[in-house]
Amino acid sequence: MNRRRWLIHLVLRALAYRKGRTLLLLAVLAMASSLATALGIVSSSMEKRVAEEVRKYGANLVIFPESARLDIGSGGLNFGVVSEPAYLQQSIVEDALIKSELKAEVSFHLRGALHLKDADIMVEGVNFNDIKRLFPWWQLKGNWPAAGETVIGNDLASRMKLKTGDIVELGGGNKMRLRISGIVASGGEEDGLLFVALPELQQTLDLGGKISLVRLMVTAGGNTLKTSASDLQKLLPAAKVTEVRQTARTSEGLLAKVKLLMFMVTAVVLVSAGSSVAGTMSTTVLERSREIGLMKAMGGTRWEVMLIFCGEATLLGVLGAIAGYVFGSVIAQFITKTVFSASADIIPWFAGISLGVSLFLALLGSVGPMISVFKLDPVRSLRGE
Amino acid sequence: MSSIIIETSGLTRNYGDICALKPLDLVVPEGEWLTVMGHSGSGKSTFMNLVGGLDRPSAGSLRVGGKDLLAFTEDGLARFRREFVGIIFQQHHLVPYLTAVENVMLAQYFHSVPDEAEARSALERVGLGHRLKNRPGELSGGEQQRVCIARAIINSPKLLLGDEPTGNLDHKSTVMVMELLKELRAEEKFTVIMVTHNQEVAGWGDRTIYLDDGMLVREERKVEA
Repeated sequence: MNRRRWLIHLVLRALAYRKGRTLLLLAVLAMASSLATALGIVSSSMEKRVAEEVRKYGANLVIFPESARLDIGSGGLNFGVVSEPAYLQQSIVEDALIKSELKAEVSFHLRGALHLKDADIMVEGVNFNDIKRLFPWWQLKGNWPAAGETVIGNDLASRMKLKTGDIVELGGGNKMRLRISGIVASGGEEDGLLFVALPELQQTLDLGGKISLVRLMVTAGGNTLKTSASDLQKLLPAAKVTEVRQTARTSEGLLAKVKLLMFMVTAVVLVSAGSSVAGTMSTTVLERSREIGLMKAMGGTRWEVMLIFCGEATLLGVLGAIAGYVFGSVIAQFITKTVFSASADIIPWFAGISLGVSLFLALLGSVGPMISVFKLDPVRSLRGE
Repeated sequence: MSSIIIETSGLTRNYGDICALKPLDLVVPEGEWLTVMGHSGSGKSTFMNLVGGLDRPSAGSLRVGGKDLLAFTEDGLARFRREFVGIIFQQHHLVPYLTAVENVMLAQYFHSVPDEAEARSALERVGLGHRLKNRPGELSGGEQQRVCIARAIINSPKLLLGDEPTGNLDHKSTVMVMELLKELRAEEKFTVIMVTHNQEVAGWGDRTIYLDDGMLVREERKVEA
C-alpha cells in the first residue's frame, strides 16, 4: 500500500471511529455550505426575476432632443419660454446605442400634429413590433396594423367617434388614408393619440430619418440605470437622456438590500459554523492527544502528524460540500417556488462555491487544533498530561 | 569488542527547579540489554526519554549510535526515532480504531512505506498470526503488548526501549513477553534499554543500573552461571 492510500485509509478509519462527532461536523459544514449555495442560487434567480418584472414596466429611459429654448421678455417682464420643435437623427441615435454596448429594447417615435375631420390631432409614428415588446400591457381591441392601417387611442376614438374598420384621412403635409385596425387602451397619454408606421409619418411630415423620442428598456442589474443614462448622454450631447421610471431603480435598490441582507445572514452563519467546527476539532484533538503523542514517538514529524488531521478536515470539507450543494439546491428550489412561483436554475458552478465554503470552514476551524497538534509534546501527551 | 551505542557525559534533565536526572556518565555497548531500575520518580523514564530522542537534556552530552542528539531539530529527532528506535510502552498505546496489523503498519508509514505482508509476518513472529484483524479492544493485555513489540521491531531498530513493558501484565504474560524479547534480540541483535521496578524483569538483562533521586547509585552486571 503506498503512503497516499494509507493516509486516506487512516483518515477514513479515524473518521469512522468517531461517527457521532464526524456526523456533527459534516452536518455543520453541510448546513453552512448549503446556506451559501441556496442563498447564492436564490440571489441569482431573484436578479433574473426582478429583471423580468422590470421588463413588464416598459421603457425606463427616454431620449429626446434638447429643444432650442428662448426666453421671451422685455426689461423686468418675462413672458415665459418658447421652444421650437426639435428632432433627433435616427441614425445618430442608432450609432450611439451601438457604441454604448447597452443591452436594451428600443423604440423610435416621431410625434406630429395632423388634421382629421377639421381638427388637429396628435399622431405618433412608431414601429409596431417594438411597441408590442416594450408595452406589453397595452390592451388592443382589434388587430395590430398591417400596411395602410392604423390604431387609435381609446379616448381619441371616442372623441372623434371612430371605430375599428373606419377609414381615416389625415392631412397636414402629405395626405394619408388609413384603415383603423384596432383601438388601444393603455391608461396613459397614448389613449389620446393615433399611431401610424414611423416611415409613413416621417414621409407625411417631410421629416425623413427624424425622430422626436426614443424609448429604451434597459434591463436592470449589472450596470445601473443611472450609469447607462450617463453613458448615453455623453454619446448624445444634442439630446437629453432621462430615466422615466423609478421602478427599475427601486427594484435595483431593493435587490441590492436583499442581497446585502442575505450576505450578512450567510456571514453570521459561516462565523457560527466556523466556531462550531473549531470547538469540535479542538475537543477531538484533546481527546486524541495520546494518539498524537504516539505518532510523534514513533517518528512522525510535526508536519506528518498534522497532515493526517488536515486530511480529516479536508475530507470532511469535501463531503460537507457535496451534501451542502445538494441540500442548497433543494432549498433554493423551495424558496424560489414559494416566493417567486418559479423554479430556480441549477447552477453547476455553485458546487465550487459550496466546496470553497465547506473547505474554508473545515480548514479554518482546524487552524487552532492544528497548532496544538504541531506543538504537542509526545512525552507529556503519552503520560496523559 | 562491540562498539558503543549510547554514550552520555554529565547528562542532566531539569524541570524548572526539579532535577529529574543528575549528571550521568554512562556507556552502553551495542547489543547490550541494560535494565534501569529505581523507585517511582527516580529518573529512569526521564533517562529513557532522553536516550530515545523524545526529550532534550538540560545539560551534558548525549550520543546515540554515533549521533549527537543535541544537534537535532525537533523534526530531526523524529526522523532519528523512526530510523533508530523502537519503543514499547507500559500502557501499550495502540491506536484504538486500527486493527493489530494496521497498528504495526502505522509505524511503517512513519518510517517508509506500509507493507501489510511484513506487518503480518511481524505479528506472526510474536505469536499473533490469528489476531491480525482484531482491534486493541478485542485483545488481552498480553496480546496488546505483543502487538506493541511487533510495532517496535517492524523497522529493525538498533535500539529497543521498554518503559515498564510488563508493568500491567500478570506473571505468565510477563514471562511470555520477556522470552519473546529475548528471542527477538537474539535474532535482530538490537540493544535493549528496559526501564522497570520489577526485580524479576531485571534478571533478564545483562546489566542493571539503579537510579535514585535522579542519580546513578549502583550498577550490577549479570554473572553468567
